Amino acid sequence: MLRFLIRTFLCLVAVAGLRAQQTEVVLTASSSAKLVLGMTPPKLTGLDVASVGAEFTAVLRRDLDETGVIATLQERLPAEGAATAAWKEAGAQWLLSVRIAKSASGDLQLDASVLDTSAEKGVFTRTYNVNRIVPLRQVAHTLADDLVGRLTGEKGVASSRVVFVRQLGDGIKEIFQVDRDGAGLIQLTRHGSLTLSPTLASDGRLAYVTYKGGAPEIWGQKRKDGPHERLYPTGPAGMMLSSPAWSPDGKRLAFVQGDRRGNTDVMVLELASGRVRRLTDGAGINTEPCWNPSGTQIAFTSDREGGPQVFLMQDDGSNLRKLTQEGSYNASPSWSPNGAMVAYVSRFEGKFDLFIHKLGEGKAYQITTGVSTSESPSWSPDERRLVFTSNRFGSAQLFTTDLSGRQTVRLSDLGACQSPRWIRGR
Amino acid sequence: MRYGIYVVPAAIVLTLGSLACKPPKSAEELKQETQAAFNEGYQAFKDGKARATNPYMNDQDNPHKKQGWFDGWDKAAADKAAADAKAAADAKAALDAKAAAEAKAAADAKTAAEDAARRAADAEKAAAYRRAAEAALKNIHFDYDKAEIKAGERAILQGIADFLKAYPAAKVQIEGHCDERGTNDYNLALGNKRAAGALAYLKTLGVDEARLSTISFGKEKPLCTEAKEGCWSQNRRGEFKLK
Repeated sequence: MLRFLIRTFLCLVAVAGLRAQQTEVVLTASSSAKLVLGMTPPKLTGLDVASVGAEFTAVLRRDLDETGVIATLQERLPAEGAATAAWKEAGAQWLLSVRIAKSASGDLQLDASVLDTSAEKGVFTRTYNVNRIVPLRQVAHTLADDLVGRLTGEKGVASSRVVFVRQLGDGIKEIFQVDRDGAGLIQLTRHGSLTLSPTLASDGRLAYVTYKGGAPEIWGQKRKDGPHERLYPTGPAGMMLSSPAWSPDGKRLAFVQGDRRGNTDVMVLELASGRVRRLTDGAGINTEPCWNPSGTQIAFTSDREGGPQVFLMQDDGSNLRKLTQEGSYNASPSWSPNGAMVAYVSRFEGKFDLFIHKLGEGKAYQITTGVSTSESPSWSPDERRLVFTSNRFGSAQLFTTDLSGRQTVRLSDLGACQSPRWIRGR
Repeated sequence: MRYGIYVVPAAIVLTLGSLACKPPKSAEELKQETQAAFNEGYQAFKDGKARATNPYMNDQDNPHKKQGWFDGWDKAAADKAAADAKAAADAKAALDAKAAAEAKAAADAKTAAEDAARRAADAEKAAAYRRAAEAALKNIHFDYDKAEIKAGERAILQGIADFLKAYPAAKVQIEGHCDERGTNDYNLALGNKRAAGALAYLKTLGVDEARLSTISFGKEKPLCTEAKEGCWSQNRRGEFKLK
């Protein structure tokens, strides 16, 4: 038995070693130290617009500064054309140089290479094609993602998207999508009515609630890039539907159904069979279902003990337990992509703030502070940041924050936004 | 007899087959068919619908292709006769219509007065209904994160119940609304609870549940958007809309 254990252990170590060699992870994801990256100005050939390089650098710098693992060197920059040693002197651990050249066909080609200043050897080289389909801005995001991937072993989220609800007029809200840096706004729905609570499956399928027929209905896409259609038949008048949430595999849709006696319950719809199952059963409010990443548990908000609190249960409704221990108003749970944390909103000194409950520690940490209200947390796909809405500048706008709450960045200056959802690959 | 097994059945099949087939047309039948086709074509030709190509005629014999052919049918005269007949019929119809209109006008004058009176009565009734609805269907208000009917709101609900009793055809939708504090989805559920609370209270006042429906708008349709209690208390409301 002992010999077997030792062999297994040795095997595991060997496999781990091999994996480490393959990916050459320089920095682990849990480390809080940041790598300092020097960026030489891009060299342009065949281009007569000098602002292209400046804009590219600005987009890339914003992306990298928000990754949480790379800090771009901003002060005491060496003069142009300085040797690598000068960059090392200035504090840069990596030195990024970019060449943008116009090819004969009119498209651009971008060569990026990264030099380790202490070892004086290249650590990253890649060529990107820039054209009408893949604009330069998108390539800056991809480069940022690849640099983070080279550093941590997991691709960054600079080219991810945020889907959110925005008010267009009195009683008219529609769903929009925006790039993670606030560019590229696209309107996804045109129902001309209240359209709320977007949820995204991992393949990008959308589901939401719309009041287009007067009463709320659950609409969405049954297949990837498919048309928007009603996902759940509306029952008798007075039935309230809200809060759809795709399961991680995209085969089930949790949602909330309310009756005329004021109770609201979490239900789960199996998309293939159309079968619906009620998970919560009892007087009072049960809403805001949110799956864990493996699709076996659901976090939800319930007022069964008076005020709203966050509870957890299995996906069949069993093993119910209360998650939030402090505060009189805890709601809007959002399970982190790796499953170890649940972000939620809590009433704190008269306004609302974001909190993170770490399941391993069983403790909650406050993320946002201040006099304004922060709501609707949603995790970034790499679990390093949260997107949320805040009214700190008046109207509710989209912000992102790192998990310490120190680096809070406004995502876009659009007003009257709510319910953001952060997704990779849409 | 060597080939009898092939020849005999073949002979039988040929004999029976030839008997079963239609006999060839006789000369008389052919003549009749030809005449019928000709008559049909001739009639069509007289009606002015003749085919341009006649299968029984070549182009030299075709009267359509000949110049100056005339069969005694005057198209202009026929058109004129038809127009005269139509004019006569129109004139008669106009006379009839005039007589009928005169007869009806007398009857209408009598019913119009009745109609006007009835319409006026209807309009007054509708206006009274609207006034009553406007007077009765006032907003009720709730405490923060609560769906219980406050004692001060009972008079409004009693008024709504009285209105529903006075107008048995009226149907009312109860809308639940919340203030901006709290999450969107929890407030949708809370609005549902508030609408349901109002419905339950109206039921205890003797209103038939089937005449009431509920809907929740959460915090999505605020009456005012300032971040202060005076505004929040207005937004935490139940609205009653005629359906």
